[in-house]
Amino acid sequence: MTVGRPVERVDGRAKVTGGARYTADRTLPGMLYSYLVMGTIARGRVTAVDTAAARAVPGVVEVFTHENAPRLTSDQHFMPLQGTQIHYNGQIVAITVATTLEQAQEAAELVRVTYAPETPKAVIADALTEVYLPANQEVIVGDPTAGLAAAEVTVTQNYSSPPHHHNPIEPHATVAQWDGDRLTVHETSQGVVNAQRTFATTFGIPQTNVRVLAPYLGGGFGGKSPVWPHSLLNAAIARQLGRPAKMVLARSQMYSIVSHRAEFRQQVTLGAKRDGTLTALVHHSTQQLSRTSENMYSHSISSRMLYACPNIHTRQQGVRLDVPTSRFMRSPQMASHFGLETALDELSYQLGIDPVELRRRNYTDVNPTTGERFSSRFLLDCYKLGADAFGWSRRNPKPGSTRDGHEFVGWGMATEAHDHNANPSSAMVRMAADGTVLSQTATQDIGTGTYTVFTQVVADALGVPLNQVKVELADTNFPPAALSAGSGTIASVTGAVNAAALAVRTAVVQLAVSNPASPLHGVSVERIITQHGYLFSPDRSRRESYRAVMARHGAPVQNTSSMTNARGYSTGAVFVEVRVDPRYGRVRVTRGVGAYDAGRVMNHKTARSQVIGGFTWGIGNALMEHTVLDRRTARVVNPNLSTYLLAVNADVPEIDAIFVNKPDPVSTALGARGFGETPITGVPAAIGNAIFHATGRRIRDLPFTQDKLLY
Amino acid sequence: MKNFTYAAPRNVADAVRLAGQPDARFIAGGTDLLNLMKDGAQSHGAIIDINGLALGDIVQRNDVIRIGALARMSDVAAHPAVRRSLPVVSEALLNSASPQVRNMAAVGGNVLQRTRCGYFRDSGTTCNKKAPGSGCPALEGENRGHAILGGSDHCIAVHPSDLAVALLAVDAVVLTDRRRIPFADFHVVPGTTPDQETVLGHGELITGFEIPVTPLAARSRYLKLRDRATFEFAVVAVAAALNMRGDTVRDVRLTFGGVATKPWRSPEAEEALRGKPLTTTTITEAGRALVRGAVTRDHNAFKVDLVQRALDGLLRDLGGVR
Repeated sequence: MTVGRPVERVDGRAKVTGGARYTADRTLPGMLYSYLVMGTIARGRVTAVDTAAARAVPGVVEVFTHENAPRLTSDQHFMPLQGTQIHYNGQIVAITVATTLEQAQEAAELVRVTYAPETPKAVIADALTEVYLPANQEVIVGDPTAGLAAAEVTVTQNYSSPPHHHNPIEPHATVAQWDGDRLTVHETSQGVVNAQRTFATTFGIPQTNVRVLAPYLGGGFGGKSPVWPHSLLNAAIARQLGRPAKMVLARSQMYSIVSHRAEFRQQVTLGAKRDGTLTALVHHSTQQLSRTSENMYSHSISSRMLYACPNIHTRQQGVRLDVPTSRFMRSPQMASHFGLETALDELSYQLGIDPVELRRRNYTDVNPTTGERFSSRFLLDCYKLGADAFGWSRRNPKPGSTRDGHEFVGWGMATEAHDHNANPSSAMVRMAADGTVLSQTATQDIGTGTYTVFTQVVADALGVPLNQVKVELADTNFPPAALSAGSGTIASVTGAVNAAALAVRTAVVQLAVSNPASPLHGVSVERIITQHGYLFSPDRSRRESYRAVMARHGAPVQNTSSMTNARGYSTGAVFVEVRVDPRYGRVRVTRGVGAYDAGRVMNHKTARSQVIGGFTWGIGNALMEHTVLDRRTARVVNPNLSTYLLAVNADVPEIDAIFVNKPDPVSTALGARGFGETPITGVPAAIGNAIFHATGRRIRDLPFTQDKLLY
Repeated sequence: MKNFTYAAPRNVADAVRLAGQPDARFIAGGTDLLNLMKDGAQSHGAIIDINGLALGDIVQRNDVIRIGALARMSDVAAHPAVRRSLPVVSEALLNSASPQVRNMAAVGGNVLQRTRCGYFRDSGTTCNKKAPGSGCPALEGENRGHAILGGSDHCIAVHPSDLAVALLAVDAVVLTDRRRIPFADFHVVPGTTPDQETVLGHGELITGFEIPVTPLAARSRYLKLRDRATFEFAVVAVAAALNMRGDTVRDVRLTFGGVATKPWRSPEAEEALRGKPLTTTTITEAGRALVRGAVTRDHNAFKVDLVQRALDGLLRDLGGVR
């Protein structure tokens, strides 16, 4: 059995040696390079584009503007270069195409665009009178007004968080090649099947005419889930010019055309009895929308699913601004979760009840919005395991009570929670005549360990060593499978992979027991044991290797299976220690413990890596990360990794990850649930709560930079 | 990025001659220049690679330490003579960038690195440093990181070098192919010409630095406050060098980063301490003297407070004041 064990990444060597070929590494004969020219106003019109100098650059094949760009439509996105209208700063206003990247870049710098600008609105504060409630964004359970009236203690506070950008280490890239009306695209995609559908729809060709590949992805975090307009434009350019075309985004270009996490403001009102029991939970939020979309991507799921409260009111408002459309970004529910988990901490101090105990008292097995019982929920175990490992019982609740040298020491905690996707998926497993096994499925490994976990699943199902199994992913020629988003890959696809592998096992066992030449001839299929690459009789007195059975058979054995899984909700509890130097307002996170109910853990190493990654993301979110928008121009001022700060190793302490590790009975993924987004959600609130415990200062506006802590 | 020519001269004379071309630029470690060129914030027609020049030595002769312009940040930081006699220089370097950058970047280029002002680095935004007279969006814009000292109505961008703040504190001299420039005279405030950041002439090559070994420099320290634990520029930085006679401050150097348009020395703050005992009162007075001329904008007023706290903390540590 390898599932559950901390198996090393099977793709690790390829990645650290440069052997893994990413999308931008693809080079095709005769390929052209496309490069984007980005607009410099946020609202208004393009009045003229002068491309003469750009066209004069040697090697330039074409310069596309709104006047001559391929005509495209999208049912998902605002499509640039189709007219003169500008909806956000950094919009695509031209594309240069040349025989080398450098020529295309030089030409791009020489394109001169003239605008008729209008005054944009960049931030929520500039459009408070324009806040509105889009359709279907309000949920009321019970009677929140009565619940508040019945409360003995109430907390009402406002919280805010800035926009964020995904910033995967790998920039977005796309390479398109046409063969007649057949299109092949190497695309940095979290969902090759979705991408296939989008390309087919856009170009009016059958889905089977489109092949999309993304065997390796250097992170996506939701920013690579859709096919963005630039990829569609690049494919259209390749078709029009009759040559393959490649486009790789510069880092700065990733701050306007591949989405972000919206600026977010929220007000949380909690009503409670003296014993801590919640009587009402009212959560109103406002998130930034764009001129071209009112879709929302930061949902108040935690307020609707996490705690036992009979009266809940969530209201998700929006305000249209002259900024790009936001989108899901890793753990989209974390924005609202920060408000809820901070408000609970504030309530705990008002009530004089320990923050863990307060959450325990409001624990529920039942979804408070729907009344349905969760298939499994071990959140109480998480509180206990986490608190014990952290030493929470030694905490003096009084703020400012612990000092070490110059520094105040604070302990804080929060519940962690995120739901996960489950999409119908299929997978193929084939044992070759030499006994080696290949599994193919059109889901992705976005850096999280899919290759490794599926290798384990197939090896276990068949009873063969890991090194006898090869997994191939992210090619639409493979059986269709889930988008790698919403923590859904393992949850969605594992069942199909396992079922296909088990079917192959049964078929091979059948070949052995039905053949008089096999030492296992006559044993019933059900009684055969498979292990270490062998088939055994029940008493293990007789055996035959898979290799021998397959050699005699002389042909591959193959199965393709499909499976549907249930959506789920993975929870946990995170505990942090911070040290605050009051002289400088400097905060360090010095300890972190998380305990999680993720269903069955498929691989303790990759699961722990998700915790480390999530916790690290949470530290960045809490202490530094934010996109700076110039309020007058709605233009990003820090569009690069030297000024858009993410946590680095020195910001991150040793992190202790604990798993309850109990299978979810409704999961078809061997009991696993989706998990990747859960271990970020509570970290910003836990850090803020720890800062309050350390200093008595409550900061409600992310990030907690030192200028907010000077006193 | 436009095409450029590339030359790799083998001696200083050739390098300087090649750099005389209009639009030419030296490259050493390239850790800043390449980013500027890729981002379109700067473009050059000729790149003169000086890595082949023999300018990498670090030597001590009598009471002077000489650091070649091509010495890498990591080598200078680790050099025994620097660590012993110029601790503030070593500390400032180790607080700069990342190990990878420090292994690559040369100290000559370090003091010439360009500001991290987001408007300067964005090719789609006006900036008086890039194009004098085009306007400064930082004055009324996102200026949390900007200068409270040494600014003008044309520019308030902060000079980013930690090393330069330390070199200023230890009375370094800049050596070029044609002259010696006291470090205090090397960088200039923006005034009406923010595109001019130093007194270097076109094609003039920094060949190294000379730093006197003194009791003052031997007791020196660097404190850097920033928005993450490492690999980030200063929000506020202080370099202090202290020479005490008994309980009295015999001599002191106080220089600052993150708060000013050039590496900033405050004679007023030093004067508040010189000849006096190091106490809470005198330290507070030094801080007040430092920020007396500070000009704040919408988002950077906290630096007035923070830089005084940093000065206070550093002087207490260095002077053993409780």
